[in-house]
Amino acid sequence: MKAVIAVLWLGLAATAWACSVERDASAPSATRIAEPTDVIDQHLMIALGQAKNFHHKAKVYMTDGNLAAAQAAVREILSLRFPRGAAEADDVRNDARALLAKLLMSQRQLDEAMRTVDEGLAQSQRASFFVANLYTVQGEIHEARAAALDASGEPGKAAAIDERHAAIASYDRSIQINAKLQTAIAEDR
Amino acid sequence: MATTEPPERPEPEGDALTGPIPDPDAAPTAAELAHARRFAELVDKTLAGRAPPAISADDRALLEVATVIRATHGSASLAPSRQRQAIDQALRSPAAPGPASTREVPPRRRWRLAPWLVSGASGLVAAAAIALWLRAPAPVGPRRAAPPPEWTSRPADSLVGPIARDHAGDAGARIDALFADRLDGFRARRLARGGTP
Repeated sequence: MKAVIAVLWLGLAATAWACSVERDASAPSATRIAEPTDVIDQHLMIALGQAKNFHHKAKVYMTDGNLAAAQAAVREILSLRFPRGAAEADDVRNDARALLAKLLMSQRQLDEAMRTVDEGLAQSQRASFFVANLYTVQGEIHEARAAALDASGEPGKAAAIDERHAAIASYDRSIQINAKLQTAIAEDR
Repeated sequence: MATTEPPERPEPEGDALTGPIPDPDAAPTAAELAHARRFAELVDKTLAGRAPPAISADDRALLEVATVIRATHGSASLAPSRQRQAIDQALRSPAAPGPASTREVPPRRRWRLAPWLVSGASGLVAAAAIALWLRAPAPVGPRRAAPPPEWTSRPADSLVGPIARDHAGDAGARIDALFADRLDGFRARRLARGGTP
């Protein structure tokens, strides 16, 4: 008789549990209108606003000739937190890397400039005009390296030629990306 | 000394059951004596198990009364063979109340199945509820048309366009344009939603 009562209670408990348990909170509600997750929200606007302010800050430092402070302001942009999946994040960071590389080039820090560009290219999720711009800056860095090698005398001539070839390759890559994107945009319109 | 005989009373009208009740000191009539003798013989035959197959209704009523009176006086008893038979039957029955109570088993068997039926039904209901919960498709909310592209996060390529080499470092100008464009979309969406972000 105890076993019968136990089975009875077990069945009732299972019924109550099955009726009262709540669905997964992440499941979409039947009464709530579904919202796309990629709409522009406050988090994206905050991130973009911060990037804008850091650029302005860097511009002021550049006007004053304080390039180190300008570099620091631009590096702040690279550490900004954007909403997950925001397409603008890649673009903003790549543009900041291009500016940072240009600043480094102006201070003859060519290796650091090249490292900054290479990191941006490696982290890019897709082809864009900003990626093409990074290739353009990369080509400029190769040209700067070639000029430096030329200035070093006869031993650097061969390396300078290689740098110029690399610069041409970078510019070609930039042109290819731009052409491909322009074609795609024209087809979308 | 001469004894006085009670006066002989006339024959009562009606039968013994419906007639008037005689005086206790009145002498019985000849008809009453004959009826008494005949009824005594009938009682004796009935007690001996030799009751006549047909008797009058009045005699049957009187006979039942006589049987009840005899039983209440303790004069009635079972025959030894009937006594042994009843005792043996009572001892063979496992239940103390006796054979009559043990015949109530079928209804009790039915009630013993009731908890099993209730528990089984509850288990089936629980299993069905769990199965429905596990197999129920995810609720599909009402879908609204996709928001305008201006409201969405998207690449800035169409806004910026190809970046000329002379403007490779003009990131500040581009972020201004990008921020202004996204702010327009954000405000338009917010206004469309009644001011809620």
